Amino acid sequence: MAHQHHITPLSIYLTIAATLLFLSGVTVWVSYVDLGAMNIVIAMLIATTKATLVVLFFMHLLWDDKKLLTIFVMSLMFLGIFITITLLDTEFRGGVNPEVKDSINKRAAFYDSLPLTDTHGNPVDEHGSSHHEEDEDHH
Amino acid sequence: MSHDNSSPSFLQHHFHDVKQQYETAKLGMWAFILTEVLTFGGLFVAYVVYRSWYPEMFINANLLLDVNKGLLNTVVLITSSLTMALAIWAIQKKNKNLSLVMLILTFILAFMFLGIKYLEYSHKFEVGQLPGEYYSYMGPEIAHINNPHIFFSIYFMMTGLHGLHVAIGMGLIGWLIYATAKGNLHSEYYTPMEMIGIFWHLVDLIWIYLFPLFYLIG
Repeated sequence: MAHQHHITPLSIYLTIAATLLFLSGVTVWVSYVDLGAMNIVIAMLIATTKATLVVLFFMHLLWDDKKLLTIFVMSLMFLGIFITITLLDTEFRGGVNPEVKDSINKRAAFYDSLPLTDTHGNPVDEHGSSHHEEDEDHH
Repeated sequence: MSHDNSSPSFLQHHFHDVKQQYETAKLGMWAFILTEVLTFGGLFVAYVVYRSWYPEMFINANLLLDVNKGLLNTVVLITSSLTMALAIWAIQKKNKNLSLVMLILTFILAFMFLGIKYLEYSHKFEVGQLPGEYYSYMGPEIAHINNPHIFFSIYFMMTGLHGLHVAIGMGLIGWLIYATAKGNLHSEYYTPMEMIGIFWHLVDLIWIYLFPLFYLIG
Protein backbone atom coordinates (compact mmCIF):
# COMPACT_ATOMS: atom_id res chain seq x y z
CA MET A 1 0.00 0.00 0.00
CA ALA A 2 1.16 3.48 -0.84
CA HIS A 3 -0.16 4.80 2.45
CA GLN A 4 -0.80 3.39 5.89
CA HIS A 5 -4.05 4.05 7.70
CA HIS A 6 -3.95 4.96 11.35
CA ILE A 7 -5.27 2.00 13.34
CA THR A 8 -6.98 3.04 16.55
CA PRO A 9 -5.79 0.88 19.46
CA LEU A 10 -8.39 -1.57 20.81
CA SER A 11 -8.02 -0.13 24.32
CA ILE A 12 -9.23 3.28 23.10
CA TYR A 13 -12.41 1.80 21.58
CA LEU A 14 -13.21 -0.11 24.77
CA THR A 15 -12.48 2.89 27.03
CA ILE A 16 -14.66 5.20 24.93
CA ALA A 17 -17.56 2.72 24.83
CA ALA A 18 -17.34 2.21 28.61
CA THR A 19 -17.31 5.99 29.15
CA LEU A 20 -20.35 6.42 26.87
CA LEU A 21 -22.30 3.76 28.77
CA PHE A 22 -21.29 5.29 32.10
CA LEU A 23 -22.38 8.79 30.98
CA SER A 24 -25.73 7.36 29.78
CA GLY A 25 -26.30 6.07 33.29
CA VAL A 26 -25.26 9.41 34.80
CA THR A 27 -27.66 11.38 32.59
CA VAL A 28 -30.59 9.15 33.61
CA TRP A 29 -29.64 9.43 37.28
CA VAL A 30 -29.26 13.23 37.13
CA SER A 31 -32.68 13.55 35.43
CA TYR A 32 -34.33 12.27 38.64
CA VAL A 33 -32.66 15.03 40.69
CA ASP A 34 -34.72 18.21 40.50
CA LEU A 35 -32.33 21.03 39.59
CA GLY A 36 -34.93 23.23 37.92
CA ALA A 37 -33.67 24.89 34.77
CA MET A 38 -30.23 23.30 35.26
CA ASN A 39 -31.59 19.83 34.39
CA ILE A 40 -31.73 20.52 30.67
CA VAL A 41 -28.33 22.26 30.76
CA ILE A 42 -26.67 19.28 32.46
CA ALA A 43 -28.44 16.80 30.16
CA MET A 44 -27.18 18.69 27.09
CA LEU A 45 -23.65 19.01 28.53
CA ILE A 46 -23.50 15.24 29.08
CA ALA A 47 -24.96 14.56 25.61
CA THR A 48 -22.42 16.91 24.03
CA THR A 49 -19.56 15.23 25.91
CA LYS A 50 -20.77 11.86 24.60
CA ALA A 51 -21.18 13.25 21.07
CA THR A 52 -17.64 14.69 21.16
CA LEU A 53 -16.22 11.29 22.17
CA VAL A 54 -18.12 9.57 19.34
CA VAL A 55 -16.99 12.11 16.74
CA LEU A 56 -13.33 12.24 17.77
CA PHE A 57 -12.69 8.53 18.43
CA PHE A 58 -15.36 6.36 16.81
CA MET A 59 -15.63 8.60 13.75
CA HIS A 60 -11.85 9.02 13.79
CA LEU A 61 -11.81 12.81 13.34
CA LEU A 62 -9.07 13.22 15.97
CA TRP A 63 -6.56 11.61 13.58
CA ASP A 64 -8.08 12.54 10.21
CA ASP A 65 -7.29 15.52 8.03
CA LYS A 66 -8.63 18.61 9.81
CA LYS A 67 -10.68 19.61 6.77
CA LEU A 68 -13.12 16.86 7.72
CA LEU A 69 -13.44 18.18 11.28
CA THR A 70 -13.98 21.64 9.75
CA ILE A 71 -16.86 20.32 7.61
CA PHE A 72 -18.50 18.74 10.64
CA VAL A 73 -18.06 21.82 12.86
CA MET A 74 -19.47 23.97 10.05
CA SER A 75 -22.64 21.85 10.00
CA LEU A 76 -23.04 22.53 13.73
CA MET A 77 -22.39 26.26 13.19
CA PHE A 78 -25.15 26.43 10.59
CA LEU A 79 -27.46 24.51 12.92
CA GLY A 80 -26.66 27.12 15.58
CA ILE A 81 -27.50 29.95 13.18
CA PHE A 82 -30.74 28.14 12.22
CA ILE A 83 -31.81 27.80 15.87
CA THR A 84 -30.73 31.32 16.90
CA ILE A 85 -32.46 33.19 14.09
CA THR A 86 -35.65 31.13 14.42
CA LEU A 87 -35.77 31.79 18.17
CA LEU A 88 -35.18 35.51 17.57
CA ASP A 89 -38.55 35.42 15.81
CA THR A 90 -40.55 33.00 17.94
CA GLU A 91 -39.30 34.20 21.33
CA PHE A 92 -39.79 37.92 20.72
CA ARG A 93 -43.03 38.07 18.73
CA GLY A 94 -44.74 39.54 21.77
CA GLY A 95 -42.29 42.45 21.98
CA VAL A 96 -43.41 43.87 18.64
CA ASN A 97 -47.05 42.76 18.56
CA PRO A 98 -48.31 42.10 22.09
CA GLU A 99 -51.48 40.44 20.75
CA VAL A 100 -49.47 37.57 19.22
CA LYS A 101 -47.44 36.91 22.36
CA ASP A 102 -49.74 34.01 23.25
CA SER A 103 -48.88 30.64 21.74
CA ILE A 104 -50.39 29.61 18.48
CA ASN A 105 -53.06 27.24 19.62
CA LYS A 106 -53.73 24.78 16.81
CA ARG A 107 -55.59 21.89 18.28
CA ALA A 108 -56.15 18.25 17.48
CA ALA A 109 -59.56 17.14 16.22
CA PHE A 110 -60.30 15.35 19.49
CA TYR A 111 -60.38 18.70 21.27
CA ASP A 112 -63.49 19.73 19.32
CA SER A 113 -65.66 17.76 21.73
CA LEU A 114 -64.01 19.39 24.77
CA PRO A 115 -64.28 22.86 26.27
CA LEU A 116 -61.39 25.04 25.08
CA THR A 117 -58.59 25.74 27.53
CA ASP A 118 -55.50 27.92 27.31
CA THR A 119 -51.94 26.65 27.75
CA HIS A 120 -52.40 26.55 31.53
CA GLY A 121 -55.64 24.57 31.39
CA ASN A 122 -57.89 27.56 32.16
CA PRO A 123 -61.14 27.57 30.19
CA VAL A 124 -61.38 30.04 27.30
CA ASP A 125 -64.38 31.20 25.26
CA GLU A 126 -64.63 30.93 21.49
CA HIS A 127 -63.04 34.33 20.94
CA GLY A 128 -59.82 33.18 22.54
CA SER A 129 -59.82 35.29 25.73
CA SER A 130 -59.91 33.30 28.94
CA HIS A 131 -62.74 33.48 31.51
CA HIS A 132 -60.03 34.35 33.99
CA GLU A 133 -59.39 37.64 32.21
CA GLU A 134 -63.12 38.31 31.83
CA ASP A 135 -63.54 37.98 35.59
CA GLU A 136 -60.93 40.67 36.05
CA ASP A 137 -62.84 42.91 33.65
CA HIS A 138 -66.00 42.63 35.77
CA HIS A 139 -64.19 43.67 38.94
CA MET B 1 -7.51 2.97 -18.31
CA SER B 2 -4.44 4.93 -17.38
CA HIS B 3 -3.31 2.52 -14.68
CA ASP B 4 -0.61 -0.03 -15.26
CA ASN B 5 -1.00 -3.70 -14.46
CA SER B 6 0.36 -3.27 -10.94
CA SER B 7 -2.57 -1.10 -9.78
CA PRO B 8 -4.98 -2.97 -7.46
CA SER B 9 -8.34 -4.18 -8.77
CA PHE B 10 -10.30 -2.02 -6.32
CA LEU B 11 -8.79 1.18 -7.74
CA GLN B 12 -11.37 2.77 -10.02
CA HIS B 13 -10.06 4.12 -13.29
CA HIS B 14 -11.03 7.75 -12.67
CA PHE B 15 -8.78 7.99 -9.61
CA HIS B 16 -5.08 8.65 -9.83
CA ASP B 17 -4.11 6.33 -6.99
CA VAL B 18 -5.48 4.47 -3.96
CA LYS B 19 -4.80 7.36 -1.60
CA GLN B 20 -6.74 9.81 -3.76
CA GLN B 21 -9.64 7.37 -4.05
CA TYR B 22 -9.74 6.92 -0.26
CA GLU B 23 -9.56 10.63 0.52
CA THR B 24 -12.25 11.44 -2.05
CA ALA B 25 -14.58 8.86 -0.49
CA LYS B 26 -13.98 10.27 2.95
CA LEU B 27 -14.53 13.89 1.90
CA GLY B 28 -17.77 12.89 0.17
CA MET B 29 -18.93 10.99 3.23
CA TRP B 30 -18.39 13.97 5.51
CA ALA B 31 -20.20 16.27 3.08
CA PHE B 32 -23.10 13.80 3.36
CA ILE B 33 -22.85 13.86 7.17
CA LEU B 34 -23.13 17.67 6.99
CA THR B 35 -26.41 17.37 5.06
CA GLU B 36 -27.62 14.79 7.59
CA VAL B 37 -26.92 17.15 10.51
CA LEU B 38 -28.91 19.86 8.74
CA THR B 39 -31.78 17.46 7.90
CA PHE B 40 -32.17 16.52 11.54
CA GLY B 41 -31.40 20.14 12.41
CA GLY B 42 -34.76 21.29 11.06
CA LEU B 43 -36.49 18.89 13.44
CA PHE B 44 -34.30 19.99 16.35
CA VAL B 45 -35.37 23.59 15.62
CA ALA B 46 -39.03 22.50 15.72
CA TYR B 47 -38.32 20.84 19.06
CA VAL B 48 -36.63 23.93 20.54
CA VAL B 49 -39.36 26.32 19.36
CA TYR B 50 -42.29 24.22 20.58
CA ARG B 51 -40.61 23.37 23.86
CA SER B 52 -40.01 27.07 24.53
CA TRP B 53 -43.69 27.73 23.78
CA TYR B 54 -45.12 24.82 25.80
CA PRO B 55 -42.58 23.93 28.54
CA GLU B 56 -45.17 22.43 30.92
CA MET B 57 -46.78 20.35 28.18
CA PHE B 58 -43.39 18.82 27.27
CA ILE B 59 -42.69 17.90 30.89
CA ASN B 60 -46.10 16.24 31.31
CA ALA B 61 -46.25 14.52 27.92
CA ASN B 62 -42.73 13.19 28.54
CA LEU B 63 -44.13 11.11 31.42
CA LEU B 64 -45.94 8.98 28.82
CA LEU B 65 -42.61 7.70 27.45
CA ASP B 66 -40.87 4.66 28.94
CA VAL B 67 -37.43 5.70 30.26
CA ASN B 68 -36.34 2.06 30.64
CA LYS B 69 -36.95 1.30 26.98
CA GLY B 70 -35.17 4.53 26.02
CA LEU B 71 -32.15 3.69 28.18
CA LEU B 72 -32.09 0.12 26.87
CA ASN B 73 -32.05 1.46 23.31
CA THR B 74 -29.21 3.83 24.25
CA VAL B 75 -27.16 0.91 25.56
CA VAL B 76 -27.99 -1.17 22.47
CA LEU B 77 -26.97 1.62 20.10
CA ILE B 78 -23.71 2.50 21.92
CA THR B 79 -22.77 -1.19 21.98
CA SER B 80 -23.52 -1.45 18.25
CA SER B 81 -21.30 1.58 17.64
CA LEU B 82 -18.51 -0.26 19.46
CA THR B 83 -19.00 -3.49 17.48
CA MET B 84 -19.03 -1.48 14.23
CA ALA B 85 -15.73 0.19 15.17
CA LEU B 86 -14.29 -3.20 16.15
CA ALA B 87 -15.33 -4.67 12.78
CA ILE B 88 -13.13 -2.05 11.10
CA TRP B 89 -10.35 -2.61 13.64
CA ALA B 90 -10.47 -6.37 12.98
CA ILE B 91 -10.25 -6.01 9.20
CA GLN B 92 -7.35 -3.57 9.58
CA LYS B 93 -5.65 -6.29 11.63
CA LYS B 94 -6.35 -8.81 8.80
CA ASN B 95 -8.78 -10.76 11.00
CA LYS B 96 -11.65 -11.42 8.58
CA ASN B 97 -13.57 -13.78 10.84
CA LEU B 98 -13.58 -11.41 13.81
CA SER B 99 -14.67 -8.62 11.48
CA LEU B 100 -17.59 -10.75 10.27
CA VAL B 101 -18.60 -11.60 13.83
CA MET B 102 -18.57 -7.90 14.77
CA LEU B 103 -20.62 -6.94 11.70
CA ILE B 104 -23.20 -9.62 12.47
CA LEU B 105 -23.36 -8.42 16.10
CA THR B 106 -23.91 -4.86 14.86
CA PHE B 107 -26.69 -6.10 12.58
CA ILE B 108 -28.37 -7.96 15.45
CA LEU B 109 -28.10 -4.92 17.76
CA ALA B 110 -29.63 -2.70 15.06
CA PHE B 111 -32.49 -5.20 14.79
CA MET B 112 -32.89 -5.14 18.58
CA PHE B 113 -33.09 -1.34 18.52
CA LEU B 114 -35.89 -1.44 15.96
CA GLY B 115 -37.63 -4.22 17.91
CA ILE B 116 -37.69 -2.13 21.10
CA LYS B 117 -38.83 0.87 19.07
CA TYR B 118 -41.61 -1.28 17.60
CA LEU B 119 -42.81 -2.18 21.12
CA GLU B 120 -42.88 1.52 22.03
CA TYR B 121 -44.66 2.56 18.84
CA SER B 122 -47.25 -0.21 18.94
CA HIS B 123 -48.18 0.73 22.52
CA LYS B 124 -48.61 4.37 21.47
CA PHE B 125 -50.74 3.39 18.48
CA GLU B 126 -52.89 1.30 20.80
CA VAL B 127 -53.64 4.09 23.29
CA GLY B 128 -53.79 6.87 20.70
CA GLN B 129 -50.67 8.83 21.65
CA LEU B 130 -50.27 9.84 18.02
CA PRO B 131 -49.16 12.92 16.07
CA GLY B 132 -51.42 15.85 15.25
CA GLU B 133 -55.06 15.20 14.57
CA TYR B 134 -54.69 11.44 15.13
CA TYR B 135 -54.00 12.01 18.82
CA SER B 136 -56.81 10.63 20.98
CA TYR B 137 -55.27 9.66 24.36
CA MET B 138 -57.07 11.27 27.32
CA GLY B 139 -55.43 9.58 30.33
CA PRO B 140 -55.22 11.20 33.77
CA GLU B 141 -51.63 12.38 33.20
CA ILE B 142 -52.65 14.43 30.22
CA ALA B 143 -56.24 15.55 30.86
CA HIS B 144 -55.28 19.08 31.90
CA ILE B 145 -52.43 19.56 29.47
CA ASN B 146 -52.88 21.49 26.29
CA ASN B 147 -51.46 20.35 22.97
CA PRO B 148 -49.94 16.95 23.87
CA HIS B 149 -50.41 16.07 20.19
CA ILE B 150 -47.64 18.54 19.33
CA PHE B 151 -45.20 16.64 21.57
CA PHE B 152 -46.11 13.40 19.83
CA SER B 153 -45.87 14.99 16.37
CA ILE B 154 -42.28 15.98 17.11
CA TYR B 155 -41.54 12.68 18.90
CA PHE B 156 -42.73 10.57 15.98
CA MET B 157 -41.05 12.73 13.33
CA MET B 158 -37.65 12.71 15.08
CA THR B 159 -37.58 9.12 16.29
CA GLY B 160 -39.21 8.02 13.01
CA LEU B 161 -36.56 9.65 10.84
CA HIS B 162 -33.92 8.25 13.17
CA GLY B 163 -35.51 4.79 12.98
CA LEU B 164 -35.48 5.03 9.19
CA HIS B 165 -31.74 5.68 9.41
CA VAL B 166 -31.31 2.62 11.61
CA ALA B 167 -33.24 0.53 9.05
CA ILE B 168 -31.11 1.87 6.17
CA GLY B 169 -27.98 1.25 8.27
CA MET B 170 -29.11 -2.35 8.81
CA GLY B 171 -29.38 -2.83 5.05
CA LEU B 172 -25.89 -1.35 4.52
CA ILE B 173 -24.39 -3.51 7.28
CA GLY B 174 -26.08 -6.54 5.73
CA TRP B 175 -24.32 -5.71 2.47
CA LEU B 176 -21.01 -5.30 4.36
CA ILE B 177 -21.42 -8.81 5.81
CA TYR B 178 -21.91 -10.16 2.29
CA ALA B 179 -18.99 -8.21 0.80
CA THR B 180 -16.61 -9.15 3.62
CA ALA B 181 -17.58 -12.82 3.55
CA LYS B 182 -17.08 -12.87 -0.22
CA GLY B 183 -13.63 -11.33 0.22
CA ASN B 184 -14.35 -8.08 -1.63
CA LEU B 185 -13.38 -6.16 1.48
CA HIS B 186 -10.01 -6.94 3.06
CA SER B 187 -7.17 -5.27 4.95
CA GLU B 188 -5.98 -3.47 1.80
CA TYR B 189 -9.41 -2.14 0.85
CA TYR B 190 -12.18 -1.62 3.40
CA THR B 191 -13.29 1.93 2.50
CA PRO B 192 -17.04 1.03 2.27
CA MET B 193 -16.89 -0.44 5.78
CA GLU B 194 -15.25 2.71 7.12
CA MET B 195 -17.80 4.98 5.41
CA ILE B 196 -20.81 2.95 6.59
CA GLY B 197 -19.16 2.98 10.03
CA ILE B 198 -19.18 6.79 9.98
CA PHE B 199 -22.87 6.70 9.01
CA TRP B 200 -23.61 4.26 11.81
CA HIS B 201 -21.83 6.42 14.40
CA LEU B 202 -23.91 9.40 13.20
CA VAL B 203 -27.06 7.39 13.93
CA ASP B 204 -25.66 6.79 17.42
CA LEU B 205 -24.77 10.49 17.73
CA ILE B 206 -28.32 11.63 16.96
CA TRP B 207 -29.81 9.17 19.43
CA ILE B 208 -27.44 10.55 22.10
CA TYR B 209 -29.42 13.81 21.81
CA LEU B 210 -32.88 12.33 21.21
CA PHE B 211 -32.72 10.20 24.37
CA PRO B 212 -32.39 13.04 26.95
CA LEU B 213 -34.56 15.44 24.91
CA PHE B 214 -37.56 13.10 24.86
CA TYR B 215 -37.18 10.64 27.73
CA LEU B 216 -35.41 12.64 30.46
CA ILE B 217 -37.26 15.95 30.63
CA GLY B 218 -37.92 17.54 33.99
